[in-house]
Amino acid sequence: MSAPAVAAATGARLVAAEASSLNATLHWSQALLDAEARRVEASPGGPLHAVPVAIKDNIVTTDAPTTCASRILEGYVSPYDATAVTRLRSAGAMIAAKTNMDEFAMGSSTEHSAFGRVQHPLDPSRVPGGSSGGSAALVAAGVVPAALGSETGGSVRQPASFCGVVGVKPSYGRVSRFGLVAFGSSLDCISVFGRTVDDASKVLAAMSGHDPLDRTTLERPAMVPPAPRRDLSGLRIGLPREYFPADLHPGVAAAMERTKTAARELGAELVDVSLPNSPYAVPTYYIVAPAEAAANLARFDGVRYGPRKVGPGGDIRALYQATRGHGFGPEVQRRILVGTYVLSAGYYDAYYGKAQRMRARIAEDFRRVFAGGVDLLLTPTTPTPAFRAGEKTEDPVSMYLADIFVCAISLAGLPALSLPVGRTEGLPVGAQLIAPLLEDERMLAAAAALERVVAAEAEVR
Amino acid sequence: MSIGRDEVLHVARLAELAVRDEDLNRLVDQLNRIVDYVAQLDRVPADGAADLFLPGPRQVELREDVPGSVPLARPPAELSPEFADGFFLVPRHGAMEDL
Repeated sequence: MSAPAVAAATGARLVAAEASSLNATLHWSQALLDAEARRVEASPGGPLHAVPVAIKDNIVTTDAPTTCASRILEGYVSPYDATAVTRLRSAGAMIAAKTNMDEFAMGSSTEHSAFGRVQHPLDPSRVPGGSSGGSAALVAAGVVPAALGSETGGSVRQPASFCGVVGVKPSYGRVSRFGLVAFGSSLDCISVFGRTVDDASKVLAAMSGHDPLDRTTLERPAMVPPAPRRDLSGLRIGLPREYFPADLHPGVAAAMERTKTAARELGAELVDVSLPNSPYAVPTYYIVAPAEAAANLARFDGVRYGPRKVGPGGDIRALYQATRGHGFGPEVQRRILVGTYVLSAGYYDAYYGKAQRMRARIAEDFRRVFAGGVDLLLTPTTPTPAFRAGEKTEDPVSMYLADIFVCAISLAGLPALSLPVGRTEGLPVGAQLIAPLLEDERMLAAAAALERVVAAEAEVR
Repeated sequence: MSIGRDEVLHVARLAELAVRDEDLNRLVDQLNRIVDYVAQLDRVPADGAADLFLPGPRQVELREDVPGSVPLARPPAELSPEFADGFFLVPRHGAMEDL
């Protein structure tokens, strides 16, 4: 199909998605899509030639607003493009839309958007997961074959699991964050959704590699999409017992049993392992991430960014406080307050210092297991399938626990992905593969082999 | 540990965040639940051996402190509500108190 035809068809699907009240997009236009098609036609070729890719609205682009789904950035248009966007375009991709998200990527359900919640594409009463719920929903609904999200503590793998698509978080440092609005800088990773492992691998490969504009990228060449393995023979896959609790949702447990059977039949050796500090990943994450967020979001003050609000008293601090109090939604305010509290005098070592030490222990658990001869780890991505909208919005801790199986990997900076492996009560279930640092290709090749044999859309019994 | 209204207001001031009166009780309740939850790390015996862990390059080096070339899609004058003589204009500290 020619690039203009792809642009027209993608536009038609975006119109249909809007009509269905999915609420997955924040900015797109047929004119921008057509301009993308003209650009692609002018320099044809590239591994992503004329592939429409949607972009989470915390990744900056010069031709559309970047709001992070926040009132405080409403109408903001970046003066530069993110490196990830520039590289996708160089590979021939067309930027299709900016997608809805939890405000500043803080949330696990995409209910915390200033522009309304995103619906689950299979059940409008449920959430698509978050914080990259708009990107996940667009891929699951078949609007685009791939989309970018961002991960700080599981914000791509968790919605990928809920929506039944592939979600890949690369090793920390393999993809440039230049142009990703910062949330937790020691955790943030631009990540990818795809319909298939191959789709996601190609997009990830196109974005990867050292970037002089992001000093935290690793001095490594760009990834090459791995050839899929025919089978899993020779691979030892660890099953960390802490990720298979007795109270795991029965449908998730059944889907994992089926996935384990498929892995064995493909020749993998499955072994029991332990990551004893992983149960502390959620409390650790909810100290480290808000602390970093409190610092990163200080720039949204009505002077450097954000529409100015003049507060009572009319001084500069009143301006900061009124602008931020008005512009940030409730979850962002909560996290800024928690982050400020744990960094404040008298509490720093009791909270932040302790969380930093626990982070080191969590990462050491993974290092020890991989050094012991395990090639990959297999776990459920989430403890339950997609939950109902409104079910957890008044109880932040309950919402945070939706990330219980994804947080530890983010704290350790490792690559991981979620692969759809079945459905329970009509809702998708995802399995998570975790690899040692910089072994992204090993993980993707194994996932492609599993993908061929697991019946991702079949109900588990 | 319990966080009271005054402490939430103090932290909000540190965070430069105006909190509306009608939101305060809910915030106090939610912050207490979050802080109680994360405080479970207190139950983990400190082994004192763990070094700090940060992912990414072993050593992140600062680049040379010279003007870089970030290609801008629009000139600086279009990036700010007020721009004159090569400068972004922002509210002057104290200026608003004088009004």
